[in-house]
Amino acid sequence: MGTPKMASATLTFPTWRRAVRSTGGSMAELHVIGQIVGGSGFPRRRLFCKWGLHAGGAWKLLSGSGSGQTQVDDPQADDVAYWCHPLDVHFATKGLQGWPKLHLQVWHQDELGRGEVLGYGFCHVPATPGCHALTCVTWRPRGTWRERLSQRFVGGGPQLRNPDAAGAAADRFRLRTEAAGIVHLQLGVVLRHFGRYGVEC
Amino acid sequence: MAAAGSPSVFLLAVNGQIESGQFPGFDDLYCKFCFVYGQDWVPTAGLEEGISQITSKSEVAPTTLVWNFPIDITFKSTNPSGWPQIVISVYGPDFFGNDVVRGYGAVHVPFTPGRHTRTIAMFVPESTSRLQKFTSWFTGRRPEFTDPRVVAQGEGREVTRVRSQGFVTISFNVVTKDMKKLGYDVSPSDMQNPSLGL
Repeated sequence: MGTPKMASATLTFPTWRRAVRSTGGSMAELHVIGQIVGGSGFPRRRLFCKWGLHAGGAWKLLSGSGSGQTQVDDPQADDVAYWCHPLDVHFATKGLQGWPKLHLQVWHQDELGRGEVLGYGFCHVPATPGCHALTCVTWRPRGTWRERLSQRFVGGGPQLRNPDAAGAAADRFRLRTEAAGIVHLQLGVVLRHFGRYGVEC
Repeated sequence: MAAAGSPSVFLLAVNGQIESGQFPGFDDLYCKFCFVYGQDWVPTAGLEEGISQITSKSEVAPTTLVWNFPIDITFKSTNPSGWPQIVISVYGPDFFGNDVVRGYGAVHVPFTPGRHTRTIAMFVPESTSRLQKFTSWFTGRRPEFTDPRVVAQGEGREVTRVRSQGFVTISFNVVTKDMKKLGYDVSPSDMQNPSLGL
């Protein structure tokens, strides 16, 4: 899908930025500004989140980082792990297909620093300008009863070989999954020049 | 405030206050704030940093620390990228009377005009090695960020381990100027009459 585009967009960033600036912003632009606030409802504490923004081929990432990893939080006050992870991303687009979406993976880090994936999820960046408080549901692959038994005692568990497939619809039918927790997001969306092209959001 | 024909910058005026904090188990705290923003942004008026008074809980509010500390700043920019964030850090005395950090937190200034209240989680970094944990217990000093601005950055966060232990409530009043003239839509109602903004 649009995954490898992200790297190339970053490389050509000055040219694209100049193109957008010099034409007085002839392309529609999208700013996503906000925070990955935290995660709740997971069976463990000490959680962190890996995230990535994926968009279709018509979209270019002009500035801001399109992927990253949050801090590891061990909450004292309640059962919500707070990551407080800022997002500030600027896209330019020539088409509406492949509207950006945010892929999320929630991991648990144990006392020895070992990681274990607890949930996969994705959510689309809202198309309406303004501030949005989003909750993203997550799921994780369910193993056989043998794997689940060993997971209960030793930890670990099945994970996706290709995590990007978590956001795609094509290969889902092969999976057997179970519910995991919720990721809380606070996303602000600023659009520019969408109205000029007759796009109604 | 000249009514220029085609503006190239927009203004963001923010006022508000750091209202209160909730830090179970801690008392006598003060807070610092500073703004972190991208390279296209310039503050034109107001204070970028501040330190509040030291406040304590009381009988009327046994869980809440009230600061009521004012924020008032105006920025100008050409580009929403690098939108300002307010970074809050809270400090208080430990058992020996030394100032120790009790929480860091950050949030973006809201960009839709109007009044907004934000409650942000506050966290402190933790030592990653057992030796550091022992020495910090022994010397009574806990790890801190040398520059609180790192909590407003997304890069390099994966190496930090933190413990969240409180909340701070901030209220903002936001006014923007010329964002619509520059073609930016920040709220759904802007889109109903797109031609007006051009």
